[in-house]
Amino acid sequence: MVELLPGVQSTASALTAERIRMDVIAQNIANINTTRGLDGKPYQRQRVVFQTILNQRLAADPGATPQPVRVARIEPDPRPPKLVYDPGHPDANAEGFVAFPDINLHQEMVDLIAASRAFEANLAVLKNARSMALQTLSIGKRT
Amino acid sequence: MISALFNQTTYVAAKKMLDATVLRHQAIASNLANLETPGYRRIDLAPSFQAHLQQALAAGDTHRLARLQPRLQVDPAATLGTRDGNTVSLESELTQLQENLIAHALETQLISSTLLRLRLAITGRPF
Repeated sequence: MVELLPGVQSTASALTAERIRMDVIAQNIANINTTRGLDGKPYQRQRVVFQTILNQRLAADPGATPQPVRVARIEPDPRPPKLVYDPGHPDANAEGFVAFPDINLHQEMVDLIAASRAFEANLAVLKNARSMALQTLSIGKRT
Repeated sequence: MISALFNQTTYVAAKKMLDATVLRHQAIASNLANLETPGYRRIDLAPSFQAHLQQALAAGDTHRLARLQPRLQVDPAATLGTRDGNTVSLESELTQLQENLIAHALETQLISSTLLRLRLAITGRPF
């Protein structure tokens, strides 16, 4: 199929990947105080790993090809939970300590801003692709 | 021959530059998509295209111009900005994106004006 918008594959893949990243950050922030997950353990902070996809259509072309991106995996952050002394908490252990997930709210917010900026940058690419395509379509018309 | 109408050096060059601009946009789209992919090396138009284009234009060689094929390559001049091996810089990519948009507008207008001038010469009417 003809690609009407140049580079739209890369841009669309990046928008999806960044949105997944924002979802994961939202999940981390939402579970900042979760002391008991489905497995009975405190919530583990998750993080995304990005990876390029080989562009099959252009792989035969010599030289570099545009590369879309995808979330390769969402992996748990191995940081151990932090222990807070709160003997009245239902999830407190024998010594009165509660294991909270070690999530730094500031770090998550910075990640969130970085993700939304990357999302905006890709939207700017899409806007430019659109105006380039419209301009190409107007070749031969009187302005 | 009717093809002689579309064989002017500048017209063929403008078409090739338009191809290159669209390819460059794909490269920038790919670079911005992989802004945070570890180990990604930024890609750009191969500099040999610019050199060949200038040579062919200087020689007025339309056939050579028509055979030119813009290609992408990994940018060897890009420096590592972060420790994860990624060489993309958000600001420079966004600047180049805008430059590329203006270059595209210039090239489409060049092609349009060539076609409109041809039409004027044929019909005698200015549209």
